[in-house]
Amino acid sequence: MTPEVEAAVAELVSAFPKATVTATSTGDGGADVTIDPVDPGPAYNERETWVRFNIGFQYPHADVYPIFVRPDLVRADGADHPEGIALGSVGDTRALQLSRRSNRLNPASDTAALKVTKVLHWLETR
Amino acid sequence: MMGPITLRIPRSMMVELNDHLFPGDGDEHGAVIGAAVVPTSDGGMRLLAQELFLAEDGIDYLPGQRGYRMLTADFVRRCALACADRELAYLPIHNHGGTDQVGFSQPDMASHERGYPALLDILDGPPVGALVFAQRAVAGDIWLPDGRRHELDHAIVVGPTSARLQARPSEPSLVDPMYDRQARIFGDRGQDLLRRQTVVIVGLGGAGSLVNEYVARLGVGHIVGIDFDRLDETNYPRIVGARPPDLEGRRSWLHWIGGGRLGKSDHQLPYKVDIAQRVAREANPTISYDAIVGDITDDAVARRLGDADAIFLAADSMQARLVVNRAVHQYLVPAWQVGAKVQVNKETGDLVDVFSVVRHLVPGETCMWCNGLISSSMLAEEAVSAEQRRRQRYIDEVAAPSVITLNAVATAHAVNDYLFSVATPERNSGETKWVKYRPGIQQPAVEIPRTDPSCSECCSSRAAGDGQRLPTKTTRVA
Repeated sequence: MTPEVEAAVAELVSAFPKATVTATSTGDGGADVTIDPVDPGPAYNERETWVRFNIGFQYPHADVYPIFVRPDLVRADGADHPEGIALGSVGDTRALQLSRRSNRLNPASDTAALKVTKVLHWLETR
Repeated sequence: MMGPITLRIPRSMMVELNDHLFPGDGDEHGAVIGAAVVPTSDGGMRLLAQELFLAEDGIDYLPGQRGYRMLTADFVRRCALACADRELAYLPIHNHGGTDQVGFSQPDMASHERGYPALLDILDGPPVGALVFAQRAVAGDIWLPDGRRHELDHAIVVGPTSARLQARPSEPSLVDPMYDRQARIFGDRGQDLLRRQTVVIVGLGGAGSLVNEYVARLGVGHIVGIDFDRLDETNYPRIVGARPPDLEGRRSWLHWIGGGRLGKSDHQLPYKVDIAQRVAREANPTISYDAIVGDITDDAVARRLGDADAIFLAADSMQARLVVNRAVHQYLVPAWQVGAKVQVNKETGDLVDVFSVVRHLVPGETCMWCNGLISSSMLAEEAVSAEQRRRQRYIDEVAAPSVITLNAVATAHAVNDYLFSVATPERNSGETKWVKYRPGIQQPAVEIPRTDPSCSECCSSRAAGDGQRLPTKTTRVA
């Protein structure tokens, strides 16, 4: 992994101390990362999900996007998932895709840990 | 035999240094440049001026004990330690009178011999050297840690133009009569400058193949062409110099197996760089050509950018933009990004916009990252497999429309800009503008690029040389 991707993974480990953070090198300097488990919040019936995403070799200039969670996440109010959340797949695994791009990304401050935290907060508050 | 030692100075630093050395009093003044050291492929060295320390008259620059003036020991110590901390070459500077010719005096050389062995010990690695400037000339005495000592070959002031400074005007080689008509514009000296140039072309597709032909026909001496892709029927109309026999090998194979029943194979199709090399050699039989089948995001390929005198970015990926944009500022090499865009309404098929674009990337001054031209989300998309991209996008990837004449507009303007920036750098080199040309519209659309002083690309990386990693792939295991 590039030094920048390594640092991102280390920061994710610190940011999610109650979860297992697994980073698999993609062979080009990037990494496929899984964080498990994470609580998506009371808006959902399921209170545990894994989170999966790719950190590209050109991180921190590359966005951490999209982010994937378990495909069977169901809203407690029974409503459909809103725009930005749709069924897809990551690799051969079915998943809900959370499509939240960063606007005007600042590579000095917009870390992977910050992005994942923001997206999970967005998921929690849908 | 060692290749030449050269110096590259950003225009803004040169302006500041000139104002300090030549304030109009006719006197001598002093300064120090800290320069990143970049070994070049010919065994030489590029010094990239990264930091300028101005010596204040009467405080840091005093009457000398053996020469006319001297830098104080305290100033030397501060600057040398600053250079040592950052592994920069230490280059003290002063000026002489005169315009187009300059050299060190005997007292100058004697002071080098007294002081530089000790300075080399302090720096412990990078070279130490002196520079002396006249109005339009520079001489350098560069001391290497291994004991060798070399004259500076030349300096390039890198801005909207590439002004070349030497110790004395050189006699140009006799121009090949083949270039007589263009040498009447630039003179033998200008044509000779072109012959000495190394141009890197990233992407040898529709736009890049045109740049390749133009640059070769202008008499540039060395081209490095980089592309990983092959010719096929879909890009054939736009690849300048592609011939029907280039596709024949594949057709013959298909005919042999009975008309393609077993599917397609492109193993016999030539690489785009091979066609570009053929075109360049037909245009200029004496050209030196490096055809690299490779990806600019591979570190070994990207490092070729640091050796260039100019870069043409004709590849359409965001990943390529990020690498080249960084290299421009990190290695002080100017670039021209060229392209053409045809925007179509996906639902109606109507044309929304059509334009050709040229963006001159001036080291330390104009930057694609500052101007929002490198999409972070597209960098993320390009990092995953095509299959995963399809899964993520919900829609099929559709090839963008592409037309040779739109490519020709952008590339002709870009190569002209490059040509005049090298051969006639004394022309007005004011503010750099980015230009879009639209068919049927007489006036091009001009954009003055903005600069963000906190930008990680054009400001923080300026003249970093090999002291910083390029945003390329790595196979390094964590």
